[in-house]
Amino acid sequence: MNTLRLAWRDPAGKASMIVLAGILFLVFFGSMLAPHDPLAQDPANMLQNPSAEHWLGTDYLGRDVLSRLMAGTRISVLGAVEAVLTAMLIGILPGLASVWLGPKFEWFSLRVTDTLMVVPFTVFAIAVVGTLGNGLHQSMIAIGILMSPLYFRVTRAVTMGLRQQQYVEAAELMGASQWWILRKHIWSKVLPTLAVTTAQALGTALLVMASLTFLGLGVTPPAPTWGGMLASDLAYLTQQPWAPLFPGLMIMLTVGSLNLLADVVRDATPDGVRRSWRRRLTSPSAGPITALPTVIEPEKERADARVPAA
Amino acid sequence: MSATVAAGTSWPTERIRRLRGYAAAFGRVALIAVTVFLFATVLTFGLGALSGANPAAAVLGETATPEDIARMNHQFGLDLPLWQQYLNWLGNALQGDLGVSWFTTVPVTDSIRAALPVDLSIAGLALLLAVVFGVTGGVAAALSNGGVVDRTVTLLCSIVATMPPFVIGIGLIVLFSVQLEWLPSGGYVPISQSPVEWLRFAILPALALSVDAAGGLARQLRTSLVGALRENYATGAEMRGFSRRRVLFGHVLRNASGPALAVLGLAVPTIIGGAVIAEKLFNLPGIAQLALQSAEQGDVPVILGTLLVTVIVVLIASTVVNVIQTALNPVARRPRNPQGGTS
Repeated sequence: MNTLRLAWRDPAGKASMIVLAGILFLVFFGSMLAPHDPLAQDPANMLQNPSAEHWLGTDYLGRDVLSRLMAGTRISVLGAVEAVLTAMLIGILPGLASVWLGPKFEWFSLRVTDTLMVVPFTVFAIAVVGTLGNGLHQSMIAIGILMSPLYFRVTRAVTMGLRQQQYVEAAELMGASQWWILRKHIWSKVLPTLAVTTAQALGTALLVMASLTFLGLGVTPPAPTWGGMLASDLAYLTQQPWAPLFPGLMIMLTVGSLNLLADVVRDATPDGVRRSWRRRLTSPSAGPITALPTVIEPEKERADARVPAA
Repeated sequence: MSATVAAGTSWPTERIRRLRGYAAAFGRVALIAVTVFLFATVLTFGLGALSGANPAAAVLGETATPEDIARMNHQFGLDLPLWQQYLNWLGNALQGDLGVSWFTTVPVTDSIRAALPVDLSIAGLALLLAVVFGVTGGVAAALSNGGVVDRTVTLLCSIVATMPPFVIGIGLIVLFSVQLEWLPSGGYVPISQSPVEWLRFAILPALALSVDAAGGLARQLRTSLVGALRENYATGAEMRGFSRRRVLFGHVLRNASGPALAVLGLAVPTIIGGAVIAEKLFNLPGIAQLALQSAEQGDVPVILGTLLVTVIVVLIASTVVNVIQTALNPVARRPRNPQGGTS
């Protein structure tokens, strides 16, 4: 919470939080506030350009694009949230445990993570939908499982760094239980990193979600989603070349805000750097805002971890 | 390997040590790859087992008699215990036999063999484009550290990171196919038939797929290059009168390429997974169309086959990246016990 308050002081952080609050508002009230019924077809008004009646035009069935965008926010965003929650649930605890439970578990869990990391999202989602039935929950939980290595690796890296700290060693020497050390010394330090990871993970999940709905997985067609709208716009590019712009912009805006927020939160320490908008976009801080953190090679990790013991 | 080492006892010990380091490091990479492959087969087979779908229900429909169902289950080996089914499946898969489609009885391997070159050629081209753009962008940004080029590249990377590949693909179609009418918006010609025609159909999907990886690569390369240029050895080389460019290409690039390679390794599954989207977007007859069709029908052998094959492709690619990384990075191939270290 404190971190968020610090992020709020940064202009870029403020802007991204406002955008995200707007998106969150649409998640809950989007379908209620939509000016038209997002499913109502109007054969007389197909593929209309933007007008006073239909601000963003109509699609190939005469449905109002703005209403579909607003109503589609819920499924698009909640699906991503479900995937990220699954990833957290599966990733964090083994990440902590891999530092404590000895080399066998460590090796095993690292290989499981390696395995999950070589499985492409879309192909796995198709396979899961094909074997377990087409549904939003199946596909998003599948994506969550594939995203769990992100949490596993981040938690593990931070925990491993903390474990070498003298105050943790001191607590261990004084006979503190591992559980107590975890709760008292580790957890509060892992949380801010997890917040950054979550912002990035949500961005990735949104992109994957858009890809899946674009393929027609998870959500059946009449229900509006951003990715599904892009898929149906595709067939009418000759008539409406600008149509993909709106759902595309919604995705970019949301993912961009999440990435920006992740960047701000990463810097948000009480005496942290405060940088201007332009600088943030053109020269990001510490790490790259890629979907995944820089890979921590297992060998290197182990080498780092070994140092204090030697 | 042991013969080489034994025969070379008269060699300088330094050299033996280095060879042993290489052997051990590549052994570790191979061990990881084999384990990951086995885990992947368990995951794939487990998915099929979890589905509980069986060909009798799917193909014969509701009119099937219990005898018919039993006969069909026996035919596909589904009346055996699960672990035995897994071992059979794995044994067959290792020999290139992924079973037959429940519906068409066409061997899964044949369907995949027909579809895979489409994805491989396009993903390969995408990877090539990603390396070209990523390295050019990253090096240019690092050379102009803080300048206009640097900021443009970084801004572009930030924007690209927010776009799903198919949005970029749609943009490319709108620009090159609909507006300019230079390139076809979909379709495919095998590379063996006509490389030029292939390129005309493949360039847009490959471009769309490469953008994301190129952005990540450029950004990572820039970060590590800028960091490495500040190191003492780079400053030293510059002090001795080498040009900045020479220092960059001669000294720094090799050291800075490790993390960039890791990013590239991570981009491979994204590119292969993205190829699925590109297939739908550009109407390519690839492995994803196969997977999507079989997913609709519930044709489990085909679904599992496509999943396993794509995972193997990614695994091979990431193992290659690991090997290159090991070869480039002396730390990665240093023996585990500290007294064996070369330093």
